[in-house]
Order: sequence, then C-alpha cells, then structure tokens
Amino acid sequence: MQVVWRKNPKNSNEGIMMESKDLTQFFNENLFIPDLKAQSKEAVFDEFSSLFVENKVIRNKEIVLEMLTKRETLGSTGIGDEVAVPHGRTTAAIKMQIAFGRSDKGIEFNAIDKKPIKLFFVVIAPPHDENNRYLPVLGKLVEMLHENKNREKLKNVNTFEEFAEILDGES
Amino acid sequence: MLNKQLEMLVALQDLDIMIKDVEDVKQIGFEVAGKEKLDEARNELLGKLPKPLLFNYEKLKKRYKRAIVPVKDDVCLGCFMHVPTQLITRGRSDQSVINCEGCGRVLYWYE
Repeated sequence: MQVVWRKNPKNSNEGIMMESKDLTQFFNENLFIPDLKAQSKEAVFDEFSSLFVENKVIRNKEIVLEMLTKRETLGSTGIGDEVAVPHGRTTAAIKMQIAFGRSDKGIEFNAIDKKPIKLFFVVIAPPHDENNRYLPVLGKLVEMLHENKNREKLKNVNTFEEFAEILDGES
Repeated sequence: MLNKQLEMLVALQDLDIMIKDVEDVKQIGFEVAGKEKLDEARNELLGKLPKPLLFNYEKLKKRYKRAIVPVKDDVCLGCFMHVPTQLITRGRSDQSVINCEGCGRVLYWYE
C-alpha cells in the first residue's frame, strides 16, 4: 500500500509517494540497538541521545534530550501495541535519521494503551529538509507499525540485516 | 560545552517548530493534548533569555522563518556566505552567540 502525503494540504497536486522500503535509507547499523539498556522513559531518551552523539548525527546531546522530553509533554509518543515513535525536528540535526531500539522486557512509557514499550523508533530531523520528507516518513513509519505482522517480526530481529529486510518487505 | 544562551536559543527555535508541527503530527495519529504545556515552556524560556537576544531572534524569525542556521564547511547555510576565519574559531569554541556577517542569522556549528 502506498501513502500519498501532500506537501501542502492546500495544493493536492504536490505529493510525495512513499513505500515502506523507502524508509530504509533513514536507518543505519550504528543506530540499531537490539537490546536497550534503559529501563525508564528518561533513560531511553538518554540512551538514544548518546547514540546520536557517538555517531556524529548531532553534536549536543542536551539539545536533543530537551527536544524529545518537551515533545512528550504534548502527549505520549507511545502509539500503542508496544511501539513508541519519539520524534522531532531540531536545529541540532544535520539530516533525518531514525534510530531503532528494542527492549524485550518492555519499558513504561505512558503509551495510549498503557502497555510497556518494546519497540522504539526515534526520529530526528533538521527544521527544513530539502525534500520535505519529515512528515511523510513519520506517517509511513506509523502506518507500517500498525501492521501486526511487522511488529511481531521486529520483536524478533537480532541483526540490522534482518531489520532492513523487514522494512524492505522481503522478510 | 555549548554556550548557555545559544543552547536556549536553539531550544526556543526547536519549540517553535514543534508548536508549528502540532496539527500535522496529530493528523498522522499521534496523541496531542498538551499544546499549552509547550506554550508554557516557551514562555519560561523567554523569561530566561536576555532581551536583546530575544528581540534579535524574533526579528530574524519574522524575516527568514529560521533565525538559527547551521554552518557547514565554514559556510552559513542561510545565505551561503563564507564565515570569516576569526568567527569560525569563536563559533566552534561555543563561547558566544555568533551572527552571520552576511544575513545576520545566528550560527550553529554542527561539528
């Protein structure tokens, strides 16, 4: 299934077609954590922010930590079914990147269905992406994660290759 | 360590972007219930920033949408002017808030 995200809702001629496999380009092996150490929401943000700094995605951990924390005050990014998609656009990001993390035990995240979170997708993007992909990517990611079969597969991945195959729809 | 005033300015710009994104994010299906908390956080931040910096931020925001822009390969990505060497040294050391000599935007060094 394809999602068409309108760049400008007032102009339906401007559209971005996106498929699950298009998401692969925003992930990389260095931003893949199959076994999160964190056991609380704060620790999850800390672990991911440190990961972004270690991999030179951002320079200042505090800025991203602040952005992710502030975003949660708007409402939990725990979208239900043991999945959370913390996200935000920040001046500190040079390009859009998504980090993946899994916690087999699950972490309390105040999700909409109150279930602990096992799958985390942390999306950070610069304020203005040249191709305006932030919202379409976020939308496609959420749509992909609403499918039960994808979530079940993701709960069992151990390597980045397996993970990428799921995104590519090959697994 | 990042200059505190620059850190607050970046946090302010990130908050402004977040406030602007609220409706789009809601459309995607995220729970969005606490916009007033973001406004509160913004007001709190405004109270901490020195008035001249704040005035300059608002002025730049009106003019360019983004008041703070990155520097990449020693070029301001707002106006694409080369940043003078003495500013690069000061900017990289994060000791003060630096404005682009070309467009006046606040500069943020990625690396």
